[in-house]
Amino acid sequence: MSESRTQLRDMLDIAQDEMVMRDRIADLLEQGPKTIPELAEILGCPSREVMVWLFGMRRYGLVEGIGRAGADGYFQYELMKRP
Amino acid sequence: MLKPDADGRLLDYDVMVVGAGVAGMETAASMGDMGYRVLLVDKNASVGGRAILLSKVFPTLDCASCIVTPKMASVSHHPNVQLMTYSEVDAIARNSDGSFAVELHKKASFVDFDACTGCGKCEEICTVAIPDEYNYGLVTRRAAHIAFPQAVPKKAVIQRRGEAPCTFTCPANVKASGYVSLVRAGRYKEAFALHLENAPLVGSLARACYAPCESDCTRGEKEGTVHIRAIKRFMVDRYYAEHPEPEYGPVENQLETRVAIVGSGPAGLSAAFYLARLGHQVTIFEAEREAGGMLRTAIPAYRLPKDVVDRDIKNVTALGVEIRTGHRVTSLPELKRQGFDAVLITTGASDENSLDIEGRDLDGVVGCMQFLHDVNVGKLPDVKNKTVMVIGGGNSAMDPARAAIRMGAGRVIINYRRGRQEMPAHDWEIRGAEEEGVELMLMSTPKRFIGKDGKLVAVECISMVLGAPDESGRRRPVPIEGSEKTVPADVAVLAIGLAPSTTDFPAEMKNGKGLLVANPQTLQTADPDVFACGDCVTAPTMIINAVAQGRRAAFYIDRRLKGEPLDVPFDGVLDKTGKAAVLEEAKRFVERRPVPQPALPPDERRKTFECYEKAMSEAEARQEAQRCMNCAECSQCMECVSVCAPKCIDFAQKPTPLSLNVGAVVVSTGFKILDPATKELLGYGRFPDVISGPQMDRLLAPTRPYNAVLRPSDGKEPERIAIILCVGSRDETVCNPLCCRIGCMYAIKQAQLAMGALPMAEITIYMIDVRAFGKGYNEFYEQAKDMGIEFVKGKVARIEQLANGNLALHYEDMLGEGGRKIREHDLVVLTVGFLPNTDVFSLYKGGELAADDFGYVREVDPISEPARTNVDGLFVAGTTIGVMDIPDTVLHSGAAATQAAAYLERSGGRQ
Repeated sequence: MSESRTQLRDMLDIAQDEMVMRDRIADLLEQGPKTIPELAEILGCPSREVMVWLFGMRRYGLVEGIGRAGADGYFQYELMKRP
Repeated sequence: MLKPDADGRLLDYDVMVVGAGVAGMETAASMGDMGYRVLLVDKNASVGGRAILLSKVFPTLDCASCIVTPKMASVSHHPNVQLMTYSEVDAIARNSDGSFAVELHKKASFVDFDACTGCGKCEEICTVAIPDEYNYGLVTRRAAHIAFPQAVPKKAVIQRRGEAPCTFTCPANVKASGYVSLVRAGRYKEAFALHLENAPLVGSLARACYAPCESDCTRGEKEGTVHIRAIKRFMVDRYYAEHPEPEYGPVENQLETRVAIVGSGPAGLSAAFYLARLGHQVTIFEAEREAGGMLRTAIPAYRLPKDVVDRDIKNVTALGVEIRTGHRVTSLPELKRQGFDAVLITTGASDENSLDIEGRDLDGVVGCMQFLHDVNVGKLPDVKNKTVMVIGGGNSAMDPARAAIRMGAGRVIINYRRGRQEMPAHDWEIRGAEEEGVELMLMSTPKRFIGKDGKLVAVECISMVLGAPDESGRRRPVPIEGSEKTVPADVAVLAIGLAPSTTDFPAEMKNGKGLLVANPQTLQTADPDVFACGDCVTAPTMIINAVAQGRRAAFYIDRRLKGEPLDVPFDGVLDKTGKAAVLEEAKRFVERRPVPQPALPPDERRKTFECYEKAMSEAEARQEAQRCMNCAECSQCMECVSVCAPKCIDFAQKPTPLSLNVGAVVVSTGFKILDPATKELLGYGRFPDVISGPQMDRLLAPTRPYNAVLRPSDGKEPERIAIILCVGSRDETVCNPLCCRIGCMYAIKQAQLAMGALPMAEITIYMIDVRAFGKGYNEFYEQAKDMGIEFVKGKVARIEQLANGNLALHYEDMLGEGGRKIREHDLVVLTVGFLPNTDVFSLYKGGELAADDFGYVREVDPISEPARTNVDGLFVAGTTIGVMDIPDTVLHSGAAATQAAAYLERSGGRQ
C-alpha cells in the first residue's frame, strides 16, 4: 500500500502547512506541469495533503489543471502565477 | 407596555424569521409580498442555507444555484424584508401585549459591510488557511473570506476568535501571531512593517526581549512554545541585511508642534517614532554620549550587539527625529522656554540601590550598572583571572556575571540570599550562566566586604534560611547566626535593584520611591504638558514594557497637542482567545517539536562577546512558524488592510447587541448533518476516499473545490464509485430511527451526475430499499437503472482499505446469491442521515417550545394547522420540523407564512 494513501492528518493541521508548502509546490511547477502523485513524491508528503495545498492554490488562481486527465486518471497542473 | 417609536409604531418588525435557508427565504419573501415588514436573521455570512451548496436538485436535475439564487436575491432586495446576516438571535420572550421581545447581536465581521465591494482581495492575500466549511472540509479557505461565490450579501468577513494569547500578552500588543504568520508565508518585509506598527526597536527586541509572548504560547502546552523571538530574529536580521537604511523618510504632513523627549532609551525612542510619524517635530535629549539608554549601556553585546541598536535608532531618526547626545536636561521650564509644546520624560531607572554594609566603598566594590556601562562603552574592568562575586539573583545579576566570564575572570560567583527556585532571573538565563561556568552561592548574603590597602580581597558571607512570608508573600530570608564564612574576591558587583533616574526633577513630581507620578492611562503628569513613561514611572521592568509606554505616551501627547480630549481608550483589543478550544482541536494534530535555535556552545561563548544566539535559517524560521496553532484564527497580519481599496476592514469592531420587538416569529433553523465518523466501521475520517454525501455534492457542483470529480486521496478520477444509503438514518445505533426522506433521491441524483462527469465509471448504490414517493421520483429511479447504475440490495457492514489503496466493501447480498460479499471501489460516498437542530429550543425564553419524539420542533396539528407550534405567535417553517425535500420545504414555508399572517391579523400585531 502506498504510504501516501494511508496516513490521514487532520485538515486543520494540514491547513497550517499550506503557506509554506504552496511555495514549494510553486517551485516545482515552475519547472513544468506535474500530477499530484508526482508532486507528492518529490515533496515526500502524502498525496492527500498535496491535494489540500494544491487546490488551496487553485482557488486563488495560482495553479490550474491542464485539459483532461491522462490515461492513468491523473490531471497535470501548471503554475499560473507565484504566490 | 411597549412605547411607540418616532413613527408611532410599537413594533420594529411585524415578523422575524430566524434562519435564511430555503424555508426562511421563502417565508420572508411571501410575508414581504403580503405587505408585512419582515426581519430575516441568519448566523451565517450569506443567506441560502444548505441548498445553495448543492450541485443540482432532484428529480429535475435543475441547477441548485438557478433555483436558490433568485430567492437569495429576492430577500436581499425586497422592500419589506430587512436582511441581517452574520447575526444571531440570543433570546425571544413574550411581551405583555402578546408581541415578542427579541435580543440578538450582529457578530463582529471586522468588515464594514456598507463599504465592502466583495472584491475578494483580502481573501487572496490572507495568510491563514482554514478548512472550508462551505466545501465540507475538502479544501481550505482563508480567515478573511467571502462565504462562497454566490454569497448574498457578497461581503467579506474575518474569522477571529479574539486576540491570540501571544499578541494579547505582549505589553505593546506587538502582533506576534501576525508576523509569525507572515514569516510562514514568506513575507518578511511585511512582517517587519507589521512589527513597526507596535514597536520600532525590532532588532533589539529580537535579541533582548524576555518574550512574554512565548510564555503564553498555546503550543507551550504541547511540545513546547513556538520560538517567536527566534522567528523575529530571522525576520529582522534579513530585513536589516537587505535594508541598511530605512526605506522611508520624514512624513509629508509635518506639523508645527514641537515635543522634547528626555532620555533615549526604549521608551523615549518609541515615543519619538510614533510622534514623528504623526508629523510632530521631535527632539530627544540624551545625557550619555550615545543614544539608546539601557539598550546601549546596560545590556552586554553578547545579548545585544550595538550595531543592532544603531540600526534600530535609524528607524527613528529617519523620520526626522533629532537626538542631542551629551545633553542632560535639568530644567523642564527651560525646555518650555525653548519652545517645546510638550515634554516627555523617559529617563529610566539606572540609579543603583545601595548596600549599606562595611567595606561598601572599597576599591573593587561596584554597582552592576556601572560595571555594565564600562563594559559596554569599552572601558573593560580588569577582572582577568580574578574572582568576581555578583550579589543578587535577578536578571541584572546575570549580565555582569556572564560578562565577567567573557572577560577572563578566574571565578565568577552569584551570591543570592534565597534558593534557586526563588531567583527572580529567568530560568534560561540562570542555566546559560551555569553552562558558562558561573557558580551559584545560594541561601547566602554578604555581611561585610573585607579590604586590604583600600582594595577588596574577600567577602564575608552569612548563610540564610527562609523564614515566614513577608508582605509580598515571599518567604523572608533570615541569617543563621554563626554561619559566617569568608570568600576571597577581587571584585564585588552589587546587583540588588535599580532606582528611578529622577534626581533632576522636582520632588512634587515624584512619589516616595522617587518614581515620577503620571496618570496610568494617559501618562500625563500634574503639568498637563508634561508626560512621563517607562522605568522612571513604572520602576525597572522589561524593554517591551517601556516600548509599550512610549507608544501610549505618543498617542496621548498627540491628542493633547491637537486639543483633543484624553479620556479615550488607547488600544482596542479583543479578549484573549481561550486555549481550551484550541487545545481540543490540537488533540488531532501531529507532533511538531520545536526547531532548535542555533547557538554557540558554552565553551565558545565564554571566549567572546559575540552574540551567542544565532539566527535561524529561512527554512528553519518558516518551519518554526508552521508550529503556530493560529489560536485566534485571523492572525492580524494586516495584509487584508493593506490591499483593501475601500478601507472597509475594522479590527476594532465589536459585536453589536440589538433589542427589538416583533409581532410574530418564524423559526426556520433547519437540520444538522450526522457526523459520518460515528459509523466507525465505514472508515470516514480514516480513509480519505470515504466521503459524505454533502461532500460528493460539492465535488459535482459547478463551483466544485477541485477541477473535476476527483478522489481526495490523490486527485485521480474515480473509476468504481460506491454510494451507500441510510448511513446513520433508520439506525438505532446512532439514536436516529427516522428515514431521512431525501437520501435515496439525493444519492440517485449524485449517481446520475457522476455518470455524466465520468462516463466510464462504474457506479453502484448499496441500499436497503429505494423510497421514491414523490412526483417523478420513481421515474428518476428507473432512469438511473437505465443509465447503467447498479443497485445492490444489501447493507454495508464494513469498509477496509486494500493494499492498492482502494476500498473493500463488506456487505450482505440480499437479492443475488445471498451471503456476505466483498467488492472493491475507489471512491465511497456515505449518504448520511440528518438530525434535528436542537439549538432552536434555547431561543424561546417564555416557556418550553415543544419537541416531537425525534427532537424536531412539534407542530400542534400538522394536518389542520401546519407550521403552528405550541407557542402562540411562534411558527416553524421547513426542515425544522423534520427533513424534507425542497418542494415540500417551499410548500411548508408557504403554510408558515400564511399562519403567521393570519396570527398577525387576528392579534392586531400588524403595524
